[in-house]
Amino acid sequence: MMQEHEDPKFDQWLKDRAQSYHSPLPTPREEMWKRIEEARRTKHVIELRPWMRWAVAAAAVLALGIGIGRWTAGPVGPSPDSGGTRVAIEIDSLADQAYEVAATQYLSRTETFLTAFRADANRSANTGRLARQARDLLTTTQLMLDSPAANDPRLRSLLGDLELVLTQISLLNPLENGRDRDLITDGMNQSNVLPKLRSAIPAGPVPARTQGAL
Amino acid sequence: MDESTLIARVRAGDSAAERALYDAHVDRVYRLAFRLAGDDALAQDFTQETFIRAFDRLGSFRGDAAFSTWLHTITTTVVLNGLRKVKRFRQREADIDDAHEIGTMQRHAEPDLKARLKKAIDELPEGYRTVFVMHDVEGYTHEEIGAALGVETGTSKAQLSRARAKLRVALADFAGEWTT
Repeated sequence: MMQEHEDPKFDQWLKDRAQSYHSPLPTPREEMWKRIEEARRTKHVIELRPWMRWAVAAAAVLALGIGIGRWTAGPVGPSPDSGGTRVAIEIDSLADQAYEVAATQYLSRTETFLTAFRADANRSANTGRLARQARDLLTTTQLMLDSPAANDPRLRSLLGDLELVLTQISLLNPLENGRDRDLITDGMNQSNVLPKLRSAIPAGPVPARTQGAL
Repeated sequence: MDESTLIARVRAGDSAAERALYDAHVDRVYRLAFRLAGDDALAQDFTQETFIRAFDRLGSFRGDAAFSTWLHTITTTVVLNGLRKVKRFRQREADIDDAHEIGTMQRHAEPDLKARLKKAIDELPEGYRTVFVMHDVEGYTHEEIGAALGVETGTSKAQLSRARAKLRVALADFAGEWTT
């Protein structure tokens, strides 16, 4: 039985017209296959081992500690001693949770940021804000590069690539950035940084606070 | 070579079989990703991620359904999750931009049919849009859509019907085109 709003003429017209919706380009088979192969090659190598997770957690906790320190510091705050104790307790209690999510969270945030940056490369997104976000991520990247986690050559290479891309984005000039953005995007594509990054994100469901991984 | 043999060879670590399986399915995966994302870079990202996941998890493919059905379940999961992340990111950007742009809104000229249709499809709820694009644009059956999205066939049909009804309202200005 035909539903109330069904109209075969409209349905056919709509179907015909809708073929223009997001009309696909020819499939870039070879480019994608190369990136899939490379990502699969590195996937089994960039596994965050337990000691690496602690190192990453240490970097995250350091950043967290700086944040808590800033938060607890203030003109009418507690004495330095009691404040320091409170911060230490906070960090101790958070460290166990932090190491579980720190690596995934950092990698997921960076992956989301770079995916959106690349997708928005030709749009008029706020360059100043992107630069600030890149600087935030760059701080964590550099903490990780200085940690034992970077002793793994593959992870160090990935962190090095991320440091370069994030530095470039953080230095974008809001007044003249079209060409710079294109160059950054080209560089990301050539270094295959996004597939490598995704390979380093642990598979399977991740905690909600990490906003999920692709 | 039939597909089950190809899959068995991929499981055994045959890289040529991996490539053959990729070649057999990549067009449809990329097309769907592009139709849903509307962006080449995102579509490529989603396609790559789909195949990386598929190869990694091929051991869990039991063959109860067609391989293409299983693959499109991964595709829709990857694409929809990825688009949600990009949307959240863009929304945060837009929220902040909006705060600075109150009072500067401009009235745009009436767009043409193509632009109006695109806007109307973009504005459909996610579930309606996904079913509409898969069925009316890419030609998937309701059975394939139901399997890929993990919903009943009837739900897919109902969502398509509601999507069309919403589009009919949104495009009412062009009614003359389909009534003549």
